[in-house]
Amino acid sequence: MSDRGAWTRVFRIGVGAKHLERDVDQELDFHIAMRTQKLLATGLPPDAARAKALERFGDLRTVRDSCLDIDHQRERAMRRTNYLSNLRQDITYALRTMRQNAGFTAVVLLTLALGIGANTSTFTLIDALVLRSLPVPHPEQLVTIGNPARVGGLSEGTPRNDIASYPLYADVRAQSKLLAGVYASGRSNRLDMLADEKQKEPEHPRGRYVSANYFSVLQVPAALGRTFSPEEDRAIGGAPVLVISYGYWLTRFAGDRSVVGRSVLVNGVPLTIIGVAPRSFPSDIVGQRTDVWIPIMEQHALMPNSPALTDRSVSWILMMGRLAPGVTLAQARAEVTAIENRSLVENAKPAERASIEKDVREKPLRVESGARGFSYYRHLLAGPLFILMAAVSVVLLIVCANLANLMLARASARGREMSVRMALGANRARLVQQLLTESVLLSVVGGALGVLLALWGSSALIALTGGAQVDARLDGRVLFFTAALSLATAVLFGLVPALRATRVELAAALRAQGRGVSNAERGTGRFGLGKMLVVAQVALSVLLLVGTGMLVRSMQRLQATDIGVARDQLLMVEVDAERAGYKDARLLTLMRALVTRANQTPGVVATSLSENGIFSGTESATNVRVEGFTAQSDEDSSIAYDDVGPAYFRTIGARLVQGRVLEDRDNVSGAKVAVLNQTAARFFFPRGNSLGAHISSDSLTYEIIGVVSDIEEQNLRAEPTRRVYIPASQIPATPGRFSLEVRTSGDPARLGESLRRSLATVDPALSLRAQPLTELVQESIAQDKLVARVVSVFGILALALAALGLYGVMTYATTRRTSEFGLRMALGAEPGNVLRLVLGEAMLLVAGGVMVGMPAALGAMQLVKHQLYEIGLLDWPSILVALLVLGASAALAGYVPARRAARVGPLVALRDA
Amino acid sequence: MADIDVGLMRGTLDLLILKALTWGPRHGYGVVDWIEQATGAALLVGEGTLYPALHRLEAQGWIEAEWGLSENNRHAKFYKLTATGRAQLRTGLSAWQQFVEAASRALHTSASPRPA
Repeated sequence: MSDRGAWTRVFRIGVGAKHLERDVDQELDFHIAMRTQKLLATGLPPDAARAKALERFGDLRTVRDSCLDIDHQRERAMRRTNYLSNLRQDITYALRTMRQNAGFTAVVLLTLALGIGANTSTFTLIDALVLRSLPVPHPEQLVTIGNPARVGGLSEGTPRNDIASYPLYADVRAQSKLLAGVYASGRSNRLDMLADEKQKEPEHPRGRYVSANYFSVLQVPAALGRTFSPEEDRAIGGAPVLVISYGYWLTRFAGDRSVVGRSVLVNGVPLTIIGVAPRSFPSDIVGQRTDVWIPIMEQHALMPNSPALTDRSVSWILMMGRLAPGVTLAQARAEVTAIENRSLVENAKPAERASIEKDVREKPLRVESGARGFSYYRHLLAGPLFILMAAVSVVLLIVCANLANLMLARASARGREMSVRMALGANRARLVQQLLTESVLLSVVGGALGVLLALWGSSALIALTGGAQVDARLDGRVLFFTAALSLATAVLFGLVPALRATRVELAAALRAQGRGVSNAERGTGRFGLGKMLVVAQVALSVLLLVGTGMLVRSMQRLQATDIGVARDQLLMVEVDAERAGYKDARLLTLMRALVTRANQTPGVVATSLSENGIFSGTESATNVRVEGFTAQSDEDSSIAYDDVGPAYFRTIGARLVQGRVLEDRDNVSGAKVAVLNQTAARFFFPRGNSLGAHISSDSLTYEIIGVVSDIEEQNLRAEPTRRVYIPASQIPATPGRFSLEVRTSGDPARLGESLRRSLATVDPALSLRAQPLTELVQESIAQDKLVARVVSVFGILALALAALGLYGVMTYATTRRTSEFGLRMALGAEPGNVLRLVLGEAMLLVAGGVMVGMPAALGAMQLVKHQLYEIGLLDWPSILVALLVLGASAALAGYVPARRAARVGPLVALRDA
Repeated sequence: MADIDVGLMRGTLDLLILKALTWGPRHGYGVVDWIEQATGAALLVGEGTLYPALHRLEAQGWIEAEWGLSENNRHAKFYKLTATGRAQLRTGLSAWQQFVEAASRALHTSASPRPA
């Protein structure tokens, strides 16, 4: 029996399961000991007394276990309620603090929303283009065969394996045993579609020619009607049907269910709409829209002048297969590669055999996971998107540093509150948890705002990509990314200040009476945390600014690249006379008529034509023999060519280097002549004696009459290739698709439409498209512009944030030192001295940041080297501009507080001290 | 009657524990001691069975425990009644009274049941 006097409190703090066991053991031991003692008193010997006590107790082990069970359950329940009540308390506390400091909260939320929003926007695009799987069942079973980026590819000549000919596809389909199915998908030229009789102007849906097993391999059922049946793969011309996409059904046919069964005219051929693809399946090509799928067997009917189903020299097919159950990608790759290589070599023309054998040896067939579909834009934008991701991550880091600094300043203001609470027995972990709750709350709300911002931001980014159709939506992955990012952000900017705030020296803090804590604690000491954060921000800004400078300069260089023609007043008109049936002599007459008509149009200075045009996306190459030159390899005899009209070089403004350019007399009845570009002339004639030599292709031989300077025809970054120009009238079969080059006296963009209309009067059946050359060139560097533009925006944002951080820290530091400045001035210092002192300190921080940031910037630029054009890794102009801009903003950020410090009257300062 | 176990039912043991604590905090041994003395050592089969009951009552919040020093200066776990425990004891006692009276009436009656 206990008596009151012996009742002494003993504090125990138990942790984990160990203390529970110890307690139970101690409690039961005590009982046995007491009983033994009682029995001893009755005269039993010690051993017997203990044995008797244990016997009276019963099964010790069972009792112990049931006690422990009960205690464990109780402890768990307690911990849960404790945690929940703490959390509720912390949230209430955090919300109150946030409300009380509404201005502070607004700034923090805005900064967070910007940082997280920028990251989410970028990640949304990466998700849509790079990460997301096709919306079909079991996308992991799909494999692409060929280069999945060549969705618009078409290559005539030596068969190849990055894109395939239809007969090559047929071989793979017939022979593969490891693929449960494999479909073909090929580009279509512009389609002219008339959906009903009343329609006068044709529309141009984006179409793909696909084998009839397309939907069955993808396992995509029709939303309406049916998809293709095996019948539609049997015979050329035997499948006059098409399937339309859900999006096209909604926009073009307003979701009219009676559209199934309707007949439409496509390129003049009646096709029946048999079905609508489901809404969930926009296309197997990521980044591009597909409006209609046409059975590949109709390709001949729709493009009668370039039948491509029987010709092994026309490569235009991408393949997608589905692995048979249990088959691995590696097994399928081995099988398909073997089939393709055998087919390519067996069917090679004798002249091409050697080069094909070399090709399949050196460039193995690409058989890759097709889970993410085909995509040109993925290939184009993945690099820039990752650069962008890096840039926005840096911005977020700066945001974190900035917020950490703000929180730090706030924490030091609350230093006294913290020390009082700790003196009253609050434990530190609990206070840290409370401060972190506030950070997490801020970043969660900031993250939510960021998501809203990203809704707008990702569509703005997509608009900048110029043409990509990206299905950017906030799916689970994006939201998870944002949530994780927000939490990481909270920890990053909240943890250190929270730890700092609670690491107060109690006595010192309490003594300081509201003055806060020591310099080191406040983060404003010589090497205070606040200053280190500013150094980090400056360093990160240097990284972004130098990067921005280099990307912008690289883009400017690209834009200013000499493409070898006077590009400013040149209009390119793409003409398709093939579909209207022009050939041979009639075609040559048409060409002359078009040139004449163009020249009669007001505003036109000169007109010429060529097969491939400039920056048109098409290119031709052939193998030639050159007089006096011995080819060491197949490669040596290859040359790009273009067949051009009279006055071509004069019209485009090319520069003649040697000999003469093509003239009117170089026509169908004249001597066969050719002009080389400088690269070709140097390669074939190192001694410069090209004029008068002969070059032959197929059975025709041309005399070289001139050399022009290199013309960049497709890609500003590309090294100039060897090229030969031949009069269009002197080649065996003049192609029906060609470009008109039209030099204008004014802005070519203004002339485009009137020229098109005037040319259409020659023959309304012609398909014509006019675009200024400068526009075509700009389109070719769209991704460079995108990266430079977006990174610039973030660079400026980073600079602004860093300047804000510097301003904050300097203001804080100078206010704290008001009395010191007062004293200095009382002792005779001039305001200028104080100004210099404070500015000097700000500049020291900037210098520190530059010293850290510069090597980081150079290292980072090493990683994006391939994005840069003619920019060395130590690009002084970019570096100098970055430093100047940074220095100027830092000076401004430092000057305001410095001047305020210098204005302090000595008396005021001392009195306030 | 030796074959029939009319040992402590759970509710009864709980009531006894609560009752034992009405005079102030006690450790487990003290509770056992009181029950043995008060019932003439008739009820407790194994002394150990008391402890899970104590821990259960603690988890229910009817009693609370604190470590202290015993009369012979050893560490011992003392239990005391909480306000809830006190209230439980009151309601428990009247329920027990009704139960005992009813059971007792039934067990001692001599009248045979009327035919249905």
